[in-house]
Amino acid sequence: MLIKRTERQARRGTLAAALSNQSAGTLDRRTFLRRSGLTVGGLAAVGALPLTSVRKAEAFGSNPGAGATIRKNICTHCSVGCTVIAEVSNGVWVGQEPGWDSPISRGSHCAKGAATRELVHGDRRLRYPMKLVDGKWTRISWDVAINEIGDKLTEIRGKSGADSVYWLGSAKFTNEGAYLNRKLAAFWGTNNSDHQARICHSTTVAGVANTWGYGAMTNSYTDIRNAKTIVIMGGNPAEAHPVSLQHVLEGKESQRANMVVIDPRMTRTAAHATEYVRIRSGTDIPVIYGMLWHVFKNGWEDKEFIEQRVYGMDDIRKEVAKYTPEEVERISGVPGAQLERVAKMFATEKPSTLIWCMGATQHTVGTANVRAFCIALLATGNVGKPGTGANIFRGHTNVQGATDLGLDIVTLPLYYGLVEGAWRHWSRVWEVDYQWFVDRFDKATAADGKVTHTMNTPGIPSTRWFDATLYEKKDVSQKDNIKCMFVMGHGGNTVTRMPKAQEGIEKLDLLVVADPHPTTWAALAPNRKNNTYLLPIATSYETSGSRTASNRAIQWGEQIVKPIFESKDDNEVMYLLAKKLGFADQMFKNIKVENNVPVAEDILREINRGGWSTGYCGQSPERLKSHMANQKDFDMLTQKAAVGPNKGDYYGLPWPCWGTPEFKHPGTPLLYNTTLSIKEGGGTFRARFGLEREETLPDGTKRTVSLLGNGYYSKDSEIKDGYPEFTLAVLKKLGWDKDLTEAELAVINKINPTTPDAVSWAIDLSGGIQRVAIEHGCVPYGNGKARANAFGLPDAIPTHREPIYTPRPELVAKYPTLPSRREFRMPNVGFDVQKAAVEKGIAKAFPLILTSGRLVEYEGGGEETRSNKWLAELQQDMFIEINPADATERGIKDGAWVWVTGAELDSKARMKALVTERVGKGVTWCPFHFAGWFQGVDQRGNYPGGMDSNGKRYGTDPIVLGESVNALTTYGFDPVTGMQEPKATLCQVRAA
Amino acid sequence: MARMKFLCDADRCIECNACVTACKNEHEVPWGINRRRVVTINDGKPGERSVSMACMHCTDAPCAAVCPVNCFYTTADAVVLHSKDLCIGCGYCFYACPFGAPQYPKVGNFGSRGKMDKCTYCAGGPEADHSKEEYEKYGSNRLAEGKLPLCAEMCSTKSLLAGDGEIIAQIYKERVVRRGYSSGAWGWKTAYKETIAT
Amino acid sequence: MARLLAHARFIIGALALMFVVAMAMPTAAQQRNPDNSVNPTASSVKEDQLLQQMRIINGRGSIPDAKSYNLEQPAGRDWRQFHDVTLHWIGAIAIIGMLAALVLFYLIRGMVRIQAGRSGRTLVRFNAFERFVHWMTASCFIVLAVTGLNITFGKTLLLPWMGPEMFSGWSQWGKYAHNYLSFPFTLGVVLILLIWIAGNIPNSIDLQWIKRGGGIVGNDHPPAYRFNAGQKMIYWIVVLGGGAVAASGYLLMFPFYVTDIAGMQLSQIVHGTVAVLFVAAMLAHIYIGTIGMEGAFEAMATGEVDLNWAKQHHSLWLEKEQARTGPNESESQARAAATPAE
Repeated sequence: MLIKRTERQARRGTLAAALSNQSAGTLDRRTFLRRSGLTVGGLAAVGALPLTSVRKAEAFGSNPGAGATIRKNICTHCSVGCTVIAEVSNGVWVGQEPGWDSPISRGSHCAKGAATRELVHGDRRLRYPMKLVDGKWTRISWDVAINEIGDKLTEIRGKSGADSVYWLGSAKFTNEGAYLNRKLAAFWGTNNSDHQARICHSTTVAGVANTWGYGAMTNSYTDIRNAKTIVIMGGNPAEAHPVSLQHVLEGKESQRANMVVIDPRMTRTAAHATEYVRIRSGTDIPVIYGMLWHVFKNGWEDKEFIEQRVYGMDDIRKEVAKYTPEEVERISGVPGAQLERVAKMFATEKPSTLIWCMGATQHTVGTANVRAFCIALLATGNVGKPGTGANIFRGHTNVQGATDLGLDIVTLPLYYGLVEGAWRHWSRVWEVDYQWFVDRFDKATAADGKVTHTMNTPGIPSTRWFDATLYEKKDVSQKDNIKCMFVMGHGGNTVTRMPKAQEGIEKLDLLVVADPHPTTWAALAPNRKNNTYLLPIATSYETSGSRTASNRAIQWGEQIVKPIFESKDDNEVMYLLAKKLGFADQMFKNIKVENNVPVAEDILREINRGGWSTGYCGQSPERLKSHMANQKDFDMLTQKAAVGPNKGDYYGLPWPCWGTPEFKHPGTPLLYNTTLSIKEGGGTFRARFGLEREETLPDGTKRTVSLLGNGYYSKDSEIKDGYPEFTLAVLKKLGWDKDLTEAELAVINKINPTTPDAVSWAIDLSGGIQRVAIEHGCVPYGNGKARANAFGLPDAIPTHREPIYTPRPELVAKYPTLPSRREFRMPNVGFDVQKAAVEKGIAKAFPLILTSGRLVEYEGGGEETRSNKWLAELQQDMFIEINPADATERGIKDGAWVWVTGAELDSKARMKALVTERVGKGVTWCPFHFAGWFQGVDQRGNYPGGMDSNGKRYGTDPIVLGESVNALTTYGFDPVTGMQEPKATLCQVRAA
Repeated sequence: MARMKFLCDADRCIECNACVTACKNEHEVPWGINRRRVVTINDGKPGERSVSMACMHCTDAPCAAVCPVNCFYTTADAVVLHSKDLCIGCGYCFYACPFGAPQYPKVGNFGSRGKMDKCTYCAGGPEADHSKEEYEKYGSNRLAEGKLPLCAEMCSTKSLLAGDGEIIAQIYKERVVRRGYSSGAWGWKTAYKETIAT
Repeated sequence: MARLLAHARFIIGALALMFVVAMAMPTAAQQRNPDNSVNPTASSVKEDQLLQQMRIINGRGSIPDAKSYNLEQPAGRDWRQFHDVTLHWIGAIAIIGMLAALVLFYLIRGMVRIQAGRSGRTLVRFNAFERFVHWMTASCFIVLAVTGLNITFGKTLLLPWMGPEMFSGWSQWGKYAHNYLSFPFTLGVVLILLIWIAGNIPNSIDLQWIKRGGGIVGNDHPPAYRFNAGQKMIYWIVVLGGGAVAASGYLLMFPFYVTDIAGMQLSQIVHGTVAVLFVAAMLAHIYIGTIGMEGAFEAMATGEVDLNWAKQHHSLWLEKEQARTGPNESESQARAAATPAE
């Protein structure tokens, strides 16, 4: 029998035979090489194989279940933006194929991407709307859900004001969903609109934007291949962004580059480094300054770059002088000689890039950390060229897009802020009267009796929503406490101090969770018995829309299958809600709605019409779709299309993509790159911080220093020096205003009929000002200096500050946290907490540093990925990494159960110990993806379940549950963004 | 004639487990059966390396040699496959396999093992190509479509290579020459009785 | 010879592994920078090095399946060599050799007759319970032996004429039978151990018996108690061999519950080797209990033996029995023998 089989096998042909015959379903050489993992480079020796003519990879692939259609979307798990190729048969997603043509992922995935098909099979998805009735989950219809929720929202608004409803959105929205969510909050009348960027890279955005203009990755994942020195600090991309490691490692190999990993933990990324620097959690600034100390001492800084393009480096020099190698070693534990070597590589073996993640951002000094990183890049001239830059790896699939689209407490979409001008700009775009918005907002009376208009004041950060619920009313600078959390696509275990979150959930008047899964929100607080709604939401695979990867490239994903069960997509739910709340007509004035589903393309077009400030204006849905359809035309290394309909474009039109879509700007693959003309994707540092600044010298005399570029400019610029941002007045001064068309001028005049001269490039809805500036080789936002001294920020010159709960209380006197103060409508008492912790000797009772991070199998709060059977199998237990020395001291064995106690709120959690040298002595580490156990109690029963149509029981509880590390994390907030502190706190561990 | 092999470049492997879930996804492999897995050596220490491992489709396969019922066969592409109809679940192939590839579903009581399951190099089994029976027993048959195993195709860092042995050895060699270091072609000596001279 | 050495090395290695509690991972020569920091790339582990240092390269994984953490065990090759070659030789030599010896012996010696002829009077040698235990164990043993030998030799002997489907089907049922019948067999071995141990403690008579070759050659009939030295040997082979196959068998049946891959391989080696030797020994036992000796089979068939048979083969036992009960009371002896442990 087997003999027969062998014969058939031989007849059917071997691969080699297949290579020499042309019948369908065979493999050509090109495909074979690609599939073998090789795309570029030599390999002359393949001649042994019979080679046939080149056929397209797509020619086969339709063989199984012939008739399967191929749909293209983007992986929803991180910001790399890997292409997902779905085979769909009869409306079912039956298979996944590698997206070979993607110039970003080249067919690759990580564990999550390779398992992502499971999400739309979803045994454990929420199937229909549910509501909690006296502690029991009860099925309801969508109509009932929307009506009841709408009525309750209106009731709360009437009693407590618009600000008492918190719209917590998601980095997993499409751009269109994120934009609608922010728009919904604006139409509702509150700035309490936030999403995961708060707890992820909010400090990056603030720190980077305050340095050189825009808060995003300056270069791209693929550009890392050009670097000669790659420094990864406070990031573990091998687990968080695995496909990015393809570019990092291939770059490391082809350039024989230095790869330095600076981290408290010997991560999977560090395993591939050429240099690993172990630091104490929360000492990033001393380490960077320790490097800069050697840079300045040896004259390794890029003097010309600093002279032309940087403001305030001398102030840094003075600060750095305090961080001698001895002092840095005392604070961070890093030997001076090692830092000298790293500093030398970074400054002299260029181009160098600095990559960072949550290890840098999630601190009370997050913004200052980021600023220090930027300063290191500026000092060594490592910005604005290939292979350099701040390569910030964002987290979620669309956290960059959601940030850009203003799902944030401090700004309207695209960083316009909350000032009147911003509101007026968006009123014009939305074609809704400005006054209408004014009337939607609360007027709050602060504790001091001052009346504030909350329309222009930043909202409450998501890290503190429960403080805003639990604090006394007088302590919260808005009309009333937070009474309702309307949560769309945001985990409930991602914010620190979970015992407080549990109290907060219990106290809310209304809790709505709109998500594919019930999430921790639904399970954490069993004492909550009513007024809780669960709305089943489709994943991004069940809808279409665009998403912005970390490198600012925007990719269009098409709907793979229709929303499963009774799920609806985010856009539809927001439409239904707006309709119920009575402002759908205004909100969707320029957006077509089909069967209650707003058309995603129309939403993007509206974004284009208002997105001038960030260059979200050129990426029309048509262009993005064409990029997706013609991925193969784009070169991996340069991201540029050499042929095809998008010839000259950079893949995904990375923002800023200036002007109207018709202007055909190719996108900007590298920010601030002066070697390209603006029209080709070049740029300069943004003139964002004024034209000049008055400085007081030590002797008391004052001088004025220009903040514009000094004798540098981008290629083809007609102005050969720095220049301010463009307005009609600037155009006039240059005599370029005559290049504006009549139509453009008409629009400008309509925007500001009284003083059209004041209309800037950012609010000119015609795009004319941008067009004219760019045609003269100038960047619309002006040519300024980057700021080493970011005057205006709490720590304009970054300086070390000990974590609130530090294992080194003796350093607190010299490096205290910032004084307590009010910010974001609430008090921040970090200083008092730190002082009390030192006085009470907390570090003695809780001697171990607790830090947290990522596992490759899971994402974020992990409800979605822990429900995915293919992923859940690979990580079945919550654990804490502990050094063998600490474990032995405590009698803890590898794999045994332990109790971990936190420094605050009598917190405790039961998990397994993983004894490993990965963490140093005195350090513990936990993954942050777990939930469903709380303080030793299994909460599985709190998740709703039900009967499916076949009468089979199903549960929505994730397959894997475990204690959340945030049950143990503690107080502490960054002054600029309200970022929490989950990366440096204290704990104690004992055998259970 | 093509001789299919796997090669895991451990200097690229980051234990992202894409190969593991790609396999689960492609073949709907049930919980508890791990046709492919990633093992990390010297975990947490400088110099740790992770290696993705599955059936290596050995030359002169030990599993086939020790099988009491001769359920293994080698295809013309040198892929080692087996017939679940013939397998009696004795477990001997696991003892002989140098790579821990064979997997057994737990059926019934006291370790009574079901039919062995293992990596098929995405080449199905004895049933007709692309038949329902083949898919249910062995998963999909990519090789017959002219595609390579999905684990290697989806590898995040192009660490796991699949394809004709000579080609992937050549790719690996070029990599090693270019970067100047190598921790070895893991398993090649044991599986194919050869090493890649670098 | 080299192969033999390899086996010896393998077995010793496997044994050593079982006793080594913690296996320290070797640390690759770490390339350190002048300031004592480490270059992870340069100091990566190398496969070559590990293969030289260890029999099994193992690491860490996250799925709860410890055996999956073994990355590579070239030792599987040695086990394969044992299974495919060594065991076949041992089995073939032991079993075919034994059969050949028995045939030869039969041809030369023929059946050992009751020299005095049957007396017509019988006495009880094994009561019903003893016989039940014997036959339960024996029948299980035969099935276990046949199905076991099938696993080792069936591929060569049966597969070619049965065809793959039929052979697999038969082997599958054989596996079930082998697994399930192991329980009554083990019970039988335990009972055999208990009920007959008293008569099987070696003593000085045995020495004489052995010296006189058990009377196999010529017409000598050395005296013996209830069990002569040959029978004692069979007893101990059954008890110890049975114990060994049972213990190793259960390790195989509950794979990886108590041991790792090296232990599993060792279990199989013990199981296979002991089993084929066991089978060979049992062939001799069967021979002597059937065509090899007149009057022997009825001891286990009816439980009663002829007086003259007893006189010839177990003179001391007969004397003792008669002294205790009187020569003609075989009926009452049957009851008395229900407590044989004296």
